[in-house]
Amino acid sequence: MSEEVLRVANSFGVWVIAAILICLVTVQSIMYYKLARTTATKIGLPKETCNIAFRTGMVTAIGPVIAIFVIMVGMMSVIGGPMSWMRLAIIGAAPTELTAAKVGSEAAGFQFGSPDYNLMALATSWWTMAINGVGWLLLVGLFSHKLDSLRDIIGGGNVKWLAMLSGAAMLGVFGYLNSGDVVSGGARLVAVVVGGLSMIVMIRFVIKKLPVLKEYSLGIAMLVGMFAAVFVSMIG
Amino acid sequence: MSNFNMEKDWKSPVIKIGMITLLMASVLSFLPVLYLYFVHGIIPSVSLMLKSWGMIALLFGAFYIVEPVSYYAVLGLAGTYMSFLSGNISNLRLPCAAMALDVTNTEPGTKEAEVVSTLGIAGSIITNLIGITLAAFIGTALIRIFPPIIANAFRAYTVPAIFGAVFGQFAIKYPKLAVVGFIIPVGLRLFTPLPAWALIVASVFGTITIAKLLFNSSAKNPKIAV
Repeated sequence: MSEEVLRVANSFGVWVIAAILICLVTVQSIMYYKLARTTATKIGLPKETCNIAFRTGMVTAIGPVIAIFVIMVGMMSVIGGPMSWMRLAIIGAAPTELTAAKVGSEAAGFQFGSPDYNLMALATSWWTMAINGVGWLLLVGLFSHKLDSLRDIIGGGNVKWLAMLSGAAMLGVFGYLNSGDVVSGGARLVAVVVGGLSMIVMIRFVIKKLPVLKEYSLGIAMLVGMFAAVFVSMIG
Repeated sequence: MSNFNMEKDWKSPVIKIGMITLLMASVLSFLPVLYLYFVHGIIPSVSLMLKSWGMIALLFGAFYIVEPVSYYAVLGLAGTYMSFLSGNISNLRLPCAAMALDVTNTEPGTKEAEVVSTLGIAGSIITNLIGITLAAFIGTALIRIFPPIIANAFRAYTVPAIFGAVFGQFAIKYPKLAVVGFIIPVGLRLFTPLPAWALIVASVFGTITIAKLLFNSSAKNPKIAV
């Protein structure tokens, strides 16, 4: 990408815009956090449970966030610092955003990442990222409250079935997410399989002996999977 | 359990906060494009906007619907608004919500689950905001002290490992469904040219259908475990 385009992408105005969106996410989470804690008191959920839930969220996030950090630094040299910051703080995940940026640039007739990527390509990339994100934002913003009724209809109020339904949905989604890496084989397949097996071993055996590790089980399974993948990639 | 009304005390405020923040984000998402227009005079033509919109909607459109529906049970109502605003759902929010529920032994779909998943996701938002803010301001410098092998490991293998681990977390609870959830997308990928949106629809609704069949038959014959 040309110097001039990167300079525009990194300009102060864009940083300010990114900061505004970051504030929006921060404000929303603070409001929901507070609401959750007051509700917990009202429904008799112990404070300790709340603290554990919050801490588990923070800790489990560490591994994935390191990955996001590394990927984001890579993204910054392609779409600029503030846009990477903004799009990874709201609605985005790196592959989705990069795909949108690429599609936008190609629609404008320019190869993403090539030296002819000009300001028009930049504008189209930014437009495409925005309009793509808005797809989720609007649908979720406007219709989430219907999801509850939808779920009650499908679930029929049977708690056991509801739990199984959500388990089935999770397995379907993560089965789909894994399938790409499974099919491409090699180190990524190893990451998936070892990650999965480590988690099973953690839950089935390790936690029983060392319950204190429970909050870290996903993080540990993830690291073991990664380690195995790196090992395989080095001997492969 | 004093004077708590699910509709009034939780759902109503959650929906209000959610709708307002997500609609605001929708509008604000276009600020960068407007900035380029007002400061540099560049804006794509209407036909270019429609063209790129069409292209991206074709790629991701199905996900706009399938994802919220599939994740709702684990994320909860507030969790859904939070996760879709902050993004990185499958690789960050979902694992954190699922772990928060598991670690606290909370049954999904209950009002306790709403609170627990909300708090778990809030935790993940804090960690993520810290991480990406560090990246935005000192990332390029920080990454130089990462040994390349570690940086590469995170870049290439974290996501598959985490997806595998979350899959494992649910596979323990429903091993038969895990087989289904694994085979459908892998089989379709290997033997058919179906696009991504068809794969996710088939995986999710296929697994749910088998689950319903298994659930019904186990209701008649309680000895069958799933």
